[in-house]
Amino acid sequence: MPTLNRREFLKASAALMAGATFAGASRFLSSPDFQGTKKPNILMFVFDAMSARHLSLYGYDRETTPNLKKFAERASVYHNHYSGGNFTTTGTASMLTGLNAWTHRALNYRGMVDRNLTDRNLFRLIGNEYTRLAFTQNLWADILLNQFESDIDIHLPCDSYSHFIHSSIQPDDLPSDRRMAYYAFQDFINLRVDDPNAFPGSLLMSSSDLARALVPNRNHISDDYPRGLPTNYDYSYENTSVLDGVGGLVKHSLVQSEPYLAYFHLWSPHDPYNARNDFVGMFEQDLPLQAKARHPFSGGNHSENALRQFRREYDEFIADLDAEFGRLISDLERSGVLQNSYVIVTSDHGEMFERGELGHATALMYAPVTHIPLLISAPGQVSRSDFHSATSNMDLLPTILEIAGKEIPKWVEGRLLPGFGGTEDPTRSIFPMMGKDNAAFQPIKHATFVLIKKAYELIFYTGYPGHDDQFELYHLAQDPQELQNLFSKDITTASHMKDELLEAIHAANRNFEKR
Amino acid sequence: MRKRLPEFQSIIQVYAVIAMMFAGWTITAFLWKLSAWLLLLNLGEIFIIFSYAMVASFLESMIILLLLLIVCILLPARVLRDEFVVRGTILSVGLIGSLMVFVGSQMQFGIERGLLLLIAPFLVLILTAFLLQRASKLHRIRSVAVSFSDRAVVFLFVLVPLFAIASMYVILRNVS
Repeated sequence: MPTLNRREFLKASAALMAGATFAGASRFLSSPDFQGTKKPNILMFVFDAMSARHLSLYGYDRETTPNLKKFAERASVYHNHYSGGNFTTTGTASMLTGLNAWTHRALNYRGMVDRNLTDRNLFRLIGNEYTRLAFTQNLWADILLNQFESDIDIHLPCDSYSHFIHSSIQPDDLPSDRRMAYYAFQDFINLRVDDPNAFPGSLLMSSSDLARALVPNRNHISDDYPRGLPTNYDYSYENTSVLDGVGGLVKHSLVQSEPYLAYFHLWSPHDPYNARNDFVGMFEQDLPLQAKARHPFSGGNHSENALRQFRREYDEFIADLDAEFGRLISDLERSGVLQNSYVIVTSDHGEMFERGELGHATALMYAPVTHIPLLISAPGQVSRSDFHSATSNMDLLPTILEIAGKEIPKWVEGRLLPGFGGTEDPTRSIFPMMGKDNAAFQPIKHATFVLIKKAYELIFYTGYPGHDDQFELYHLAQDPQELQNLFSKDITTASHMKDELLEAIHAANRNFEKR
Repeated sequence: MRKRLPEFQSIIQVYAVIAMMFAGWTITAFLWKLSAWLLLLNLGEIFIIFSYAMVASFLESMIILLLLLIVCILLPARVLRDEFVVRGTILSVGLIGSLMVFVGSQMQFGIERGLLLLIAPFLVLILTAFLLQRASKLHRIRSVAVSFSDRAVVFLFVLVPLFAIASMYVILRNVS
């Protein structure tokens, strides 16, 4: 082993110190701090399937979100924020591209953004001056992240912080071809044992998956989770582990790569609603909800009692997640990493327990599936601001670009959010839609469209086999439960909104055909 | 070692049965899914999925063939090697058939049936054992197995190039 004498040791130490000083100085000199343009970090938390209609923060009767309420005390709170769609693919694509669903064309289950538009994404636009990290537990959202892979610096595997993996091969096992590996394995070769319509493409691998599913595995069971561990049907996890993992990443790794944009899209409170023991049974008392008859376009036929029970479990799961989120935010605050960070909390779509329908990816586009939370806490913000005009989740992209000091491209269909350079516009029109059975490569003729304008909501069902086209109109402020269809009563409003919606659809289809 | 293996022509015949069954399943599943994919994927993307599935089929068929060859090497020749085409065909059809029935039961009845899903594949395996046991005595079983494996060879003219192209394509996608 080589030895150093005293002189050599002193020389080496001096060289190291000089090197370290130079490295530190050059980093400081080149940092945005020195140049007087300190860029803020941006932390985005997307909680999958979190309906604004179920958050006490927005006035829900059950106390589901005391911690979000506390967080809101120093945040901008958007009361009428709507997703571009009612399931992951469409809603997330609108958020990450700033485009309407009929433009980005991520319409179908596990669909992708139009291949010609993949450069229109938040990660590309914010630029490589930001460290761009993305993590989602939702495989369908990961398909979109895989499309934007070249614009993401750190893309964590979906099963990060998870316990139990159900299939033998995962898309992340093929890192060079993650985008198509999802379709090849998750959508075809592997057996998804919970899928009632499964027809796996591989016999041996699917038999192995099936055999694994038949063997009771202790990892899958926990006394803390009486309904089973939370799962996205591919991985099981605990909210505590996931949020601890995310917190650790922010505190220990990202803090060295400022400024950063971190996109965390977590599965909870998506079904199954497997809350931790402490939260199970906390909402035993029934809510005074008016029963709603099954809708002719409903794909489900759940009884009122079953829906009440699912609603209760969903609310418990939200409360569980809220507690974990509160713990994470306190931890991040204590560590000081939020001093120069915007924190955004939102969802990709909502959830619904009414009219025979359970879940979200349904033809029914009522407010519980489109109305999502949005809170933005700016660095140093000490008071709450409330915004009541309708906003869209397409607005997040331009708003984040504004925060980051970036130019907003002309093609963006979202607007700056009020409080971040935008103004409250009560006349704004927002167009959520669901077209999962319409080919992404064809004009949209089979879908449910919504127009939100002022306090009104117009719903248009078109192209459903065996049904005529149908409109419904509700006044969301006076009738938040959407019980009184005003379409044939408020003729003037109905006619104006119908014309506007039909013209918007025709224009979108015309533009698509031109493209 | 070479002496413990069956003749090359016999191996080809049995492999043809194995490959045909695996690829047959995969192609059927592929066609079943195709209409859904046409809604959201372009033809190039669908071809990628097909390539991955064909590679999986190829690897799985090789695993079963290797299993049979290992049995030939390890056990006395009269167990499998001497009548490789007949016994190999019956074993392959039985093993792969039991996997088909296993996965098919889940598709039909759902995972909720639990261990009951094992009944049908177990019956197929018993039937296979019975046929294997009777194979040396019943000419009818022998001739069906031989003619089946003989006719299956024609599929290799399609499947082998397909496996080769798919494997090359998948390797290129994951190396580049």
